[in-house]
Amino acid sequence: MGRFNTRCKLFLPLAGILMFAMALVPAAYGQEDEDAAYDALIAKGKAAYNVRCALCHGKDGDGKGEMKSVTRVEKTGRTIVVTPWDFTRAVFRFRTTPTGCLPSDADLERTIRKGISASLMPAHGHIDGDEIEGIIEYIKWFSEDWDEFDPDDESCFPVAINKPEFVGSADSIARGEVLFKKNKCFECHGVDGKGDGDKAKDLKDDWGNRILPFNFTTGNMKRESTAEAVYLTLASGLDGTAMPGYNEAIKEEEKWHIASYALKLMGLIKSEDGH
Amino acid sequence: MDNSNKTGLAQFADNLKSVKSSFVGSFSRGGWPTSDKGRTSTVVNNFFLHLHTAKTHINTLKPSYTLGMGLISFFLLVIAFISGGFLMVYYSPSTTTAFNAVKDINFVVFGGQLMRNIHKWSGEAMIIFVILHMVRIVYTNSYKQGREFNWVIGIVLLILTFVLNLTGYMLPWDQLSYWALVIVANIAAAPKELTDIFNGMFGITLPDIGGATKEVLLGGTEPGQESLTRVYLLHILLLPLAICVFLGVHFFRIRKDGGLTRPANVSAGSGESIISPPEKKGGIFPTHKTYGLMELSKGRTPAVDTDIENTVTSWPNLFIAEIAVFMFTLAAVVAYSYFFDAPLKEYANPMIPENPAKAPWYFLGLQELVSYSAFMGGQGLPGLALAGLIAIPFLDRENRDIGIWFTNKQGKAIAIESFIVGSVAVIGTLAFVVTQGWFREWWPEIHQLWIVAINPGNLLLGFVMVYTLWVIKRTNSTRMGAISLITFFLVCYVILTYTGTVLRGPNWVFYWSPSDWPIH
Amino acid sequence: MNSRFYLSLMLISSLVLMAFLAIAFNREMTPVWKDYQTEYKETLIKNAKDDGTRERAEKIQVGLQQIYIKALNKSDRCTSCHAGVENPLMAAAEVPYKQHSGNYLKNHPLPKFGCTLCHRGQGRALNIAEAHGEEHQHWDFPIVPAKYIQSSCASCHDYKMLETEGGEKVAKGEKLFREKGCLGCHKLNGVGGALGKDIAGIANKAYYYFSMAAVVGERNMYSWIKQHFDDPRKIVPESQMRAFLTDEEADLLTTYMLTFRTDEMPRSYRLIKNIDKVATDGKSMYTAYCSACHSDGKTSVYDEIFARTIPAIRNPSFLKTISNSELKRIVKEGRKGTQMTAWKSEAAGLTEKQIDEIVKYVAKDRPSEKSRPFNVAKIKSDIERGAEIYNNRCALCHGEEGKGGENLLGMTLRDSALSPEFIAITVRDGRKGTPMVPFGNGGIGLSNQEIADTVAYVKNLTNDKK
Repeated sequence: MGRFNTRCKLFLPLAGILMFAMALVPAAYGQEDEDAAYDALIAKGKAAYNVRCALCHGKDGDGKGEMKSVTRVEKTGRTIVVTPWDFTRAVFRFRTTPTGCLPSDADLERTIRKGISASLMPAHGHIDGDEIEGIIEYIKWFSEDWDEFDPDDESCFPVAINKPEFVGSADSIARGEVLFKKNKCFECHGVDGKGDGDKAKDLKDDWGNRILPFNFTTGNMKRESTAEAVYLTLASGLDGTAMPGYNEAIKEEEKWHIASYALKLMGLIKSEDGH
Repeated sequence: MDNSNKTGLAQFADNLKSVKSSFVGSFSRGGWPTSDKGRTSTVVNNFFLHLHTAKTHINTLKPSYTLGMGLISFFLLVIAFISGGFLMVYYSPSTTTAFNAVKDINFVVFGGQLMRNIHKWSGEAMIIFVILHMVRIVYTNSYKQGREFNWVIGIVLLILTFVLNLTGYMLPWDQLSYWALVIVANIAAAPKELTDIFNGMFGITLPDIGGATKEVLLGGTEPGQESLTRVYLLHILLLPLAICVFLGVHFFRIRKDGGLTRPANVSAGSGESIISPPEKKGGIFPTHKTYGLMELSKGRTPAVDTDIENTVTSWPNLFIAEIAVFMFTLAAVVAYSYFFDAPLKEYANPMIPENPAKAPWYFLGLQELVSYSAFMGGQGLPGLALAGLIAIPFLDRENRDIGIWFTNKQGKAIAIESFIVGSVAVIGTLAFVVTQGWFREWWPEIHQLWIVAINPGNLLLGFVMVYTLWVIKRTNSTRMGAISLITFFLVCYVILTYTGTVLRGPNWVFYWSPSDWPIH
Repeated sequence: MNSRFYLSLMLISSLVLMAFLAIAFNREMTPVWKDYQTEYKETLIKNAKDDGTRERAEKIQVGLQQIYIKALNKSDRCTSCHAGVENPLMAAAEVPYKQHSGNYLKNHPLPKFGCTLCHRGQGRALNIAEAHGEEHQHWDFPIVPAKYIQSSCASCHDYKMLETEGGEKVAKGEKLFREKGCLGCHKLNGVGGALGKDIAGIANKAYYYFSMAAVVGERNMYSWIKQHFDDPRKIVPESQMRAFLTDEEADLLTTYMLTFRTDEMPRSYRLIKNIDKVATDGKSMYTAYCSACHSDGKTSVYDEIFARTIPAIRNPSFLKTISNSELKRIVKEGRKGTQMTAWKSEAAGLTEKQIDEIVKYVAKDRPSEKSRPFNVAKIKSDIERGAEIYNNRCALCHGEEGKGGENLLGMTLRDSALSPEFIAITVRDGRKGTPMVPFGNGGIGLSNQEIADTVAYVKNLTNDKK
């Protein structure tokens, strides 16, 4: 039943209607059909996962696939070694849900479809919808945390995104720069946003592995390189890494100012006067 | 003198004592003139002064009539000659030493920088004053009654002034010199644009006239030592010689045409008769007919019909005026030169083009036109403009109202009208080209012939011609046409030059001010 | 009335003229160097400890100083202001009176060497701005900043001597230049890659050769070179330069780059104690020409600047599948569609022998056992099946067009010189130590038939002229 509910999240906008429909249908009637369909989906997901994902993420979803790791050299010469994500930990970075929550299915689907170019996770935009659906369901098999996860819990509803007009304006950038200092972002991300702050040397993720703060000057954020992505990162954090969520600590408007400044650092806004 | 009873030695001693007065006497012959006759003979007996008439009409001395433009131009030339001689002492026309020589003139020669500035600025000021002189001639209707050809000589002098300045610009062999030379050579080669179009069009191959001209100018295909030698020869020998000869003719003809023009109504008692001037008013001049050499050749003496009662002796009236204008010119040039140094950039570097590569400022109006079409802007339009100027005295032959500024009220109105219409037309054309582009931007594949035939420069010239004809038709006067035409010429030259100098930046892109140019 | 006008015009003009001639005369009579020399003389007199010194100081004649060096066609007038450069009494004085630092002048007497030979600047000029060639003075070679001044030593001296005798910075710079592999992309005196600009004679390029738009501070050649090391893409936006240097390293390299001058010293000026030998062993050449991009060549690395993955050319599993002659061909001809340039003598100036040495070094760690052969030709392949496998399995990393590239882990496959067998073996066995996993029986489990189909499709991509 729990798994059935998670499936519903795929159709998040329709969730209410679906619940209503379920109440009308005798529970016993739908149960068997749903179970059979679910098993088929898992089988499909498993097959797709083994072909497309297991090379890197491992057959057991522990991130220990054949490929082991990839190395990336940034424009500033910083070398990053990326190991594939371990799904057995049931901790995910790229969520729209608040920190501590599991991601929504839509979040997972976005990551799969768009890939993470900055860590060389390829985009799988071209594959079929139910194949992706299957993969998402299959990923949830790797950890029991998913069983306890209740997507109807309001505290884990996605963060609302209302991008204001001022994002990207010269004024907003200037304010963002002040906030970047005030909130001590530079301690890890460096004064110039090159990810070379004083604390950058000792950063570790939740499992004790060395990690590096984002270098804004690469212009390539793991979550898309947009103001919304910066906002989401600030709002929901990157669980598992050293980047906390600042949903309470930084005001709504301020988050957008920081987003403006981040876009500037990433070179996505040409200088203010348009030269 | 009763010398016979002195001994030779005593005689010698006497002579020795009076050597100063006798030397001065022999030099000035009559001594300091105290009478009109003396003043007249001073003029007539002096090689330099006899360039002038013995008596000068009072209108000639009126500063508001001539504004002294011609005289200032001449004095600027004199100043340039003298300062140029000074610079020649240190300069050496070789691509390896010229630049260092100019640097040394700037840094170590006593007063060298000032002298170089004087030479540079007097030369460039000449362009301004020669053009203003021309405009004055047209506005005062002074190109008629025998002066037609002198006008043509004036145009030749204008061209010589331009070329003298240009050749001088190239001598320091810095980046300015080098790239100006490149531009000029390319303008010389501009007929190539035309010959290229027709080549192979009707199965004919035209000779590359442009390329040949360029090679003659440069002494090769690229600027180098040969070019510098040629330019130097032109600048210090051939062109000064030519300008002296033409200037001589220019002055000679002014003298033979009876001095400067003046309005007929200045004098009350000017005689109608060609033969007999009014009695007793002209001082020493004969009141009866005589035959001098001039009379034989011209049928009358130079003094005839010259409005004698309104003349004053040239000594000292005219000469004081001339010296005053000379001092004024010299003072102005020295003062300007004190504050503004003649530019000198890096040593010529064929690998690094100046951007924008600009000709000297007085040609930047043309370069603006060249940016539309090399041939039309560089040769066609200036050629037509000069031809139009030359034609003025031959197309306007209304021999009335000579020597009166703008002839009459209508003339003044036409000048103002032409000034406004001309400014609007030129600025409008430029604004259109800058904002909208031209054929090449609209249809990149278009045949070059279209652009040679129809470009903003041609349209401007066509407009000027049509408008001038319309003025003639409207006023029923060719004289008004001439006023209109010279006004258009002045307005076009000034605005185009300003545009090319100030408003065009790197890659000939429009900028409101050079401070907006992107940093290289 | 007119005559009064002319008389007053004459009078006023004459007064103005005389006034300007007077101030111009005064300006000529009081040049800046005269003040400096006078002060220098007065300081000497004031500080004189004994009568002899004072007497000598009093005898100094203030006047324009010039060092004319015929052999170099130079006129250096610097000592007109820098009057005390040779005077040990001025060792502690302020610039411009100060004595020249070090004992350089002992071995480089002023009458023979002058000043601008080493320091550059405009020797003829007699005012500070123009002599030092400060900004907008229309002088291409301003005074060399003190931290780069050793670059001038290399005009006459060899690096081995400089290392120990006062030219350590430029000697270090020279070493660094090779270690950092600058020649991998830049050509110097005919040798080097073609990706970057030819840097021969760079120190004699005119001001306008350099794009100064993004240069901070004094805009000149020296700032440009230093700052283009600090952040290449800030100075030249389209640059692909891989310069990961500390500030100190950038200064050393700048010093070395300023030795690339075109004005050759006369023989009598040069003092070569040792002939500088460029090491031609495989390892040194690999460092100089290859390491800038391939580093140690052990792992393949995705590079953001090149926007592609740089292959691990010294990886044993790669070497297993490729012969030396094949390697040599790639080195000589380069790889089309990538940043790898051709290194043959016509292109990058490396001799046959040098390339052999490099290849030998690259292939040093080749395992003794060969890859199991894979006879692709024997298997009848099905391109359509291959396409399916390729798009499912390979395209994620190698791209749908097989070109590799931005944010893709894979190499380009579109090199017609890659043999089908090479590709097939690589697919089957993978490339240990890189993200390329074995797809054959040992790994993912594709059958030989499937691999052959895929290879056929890949070769078909290559022929496709897209």
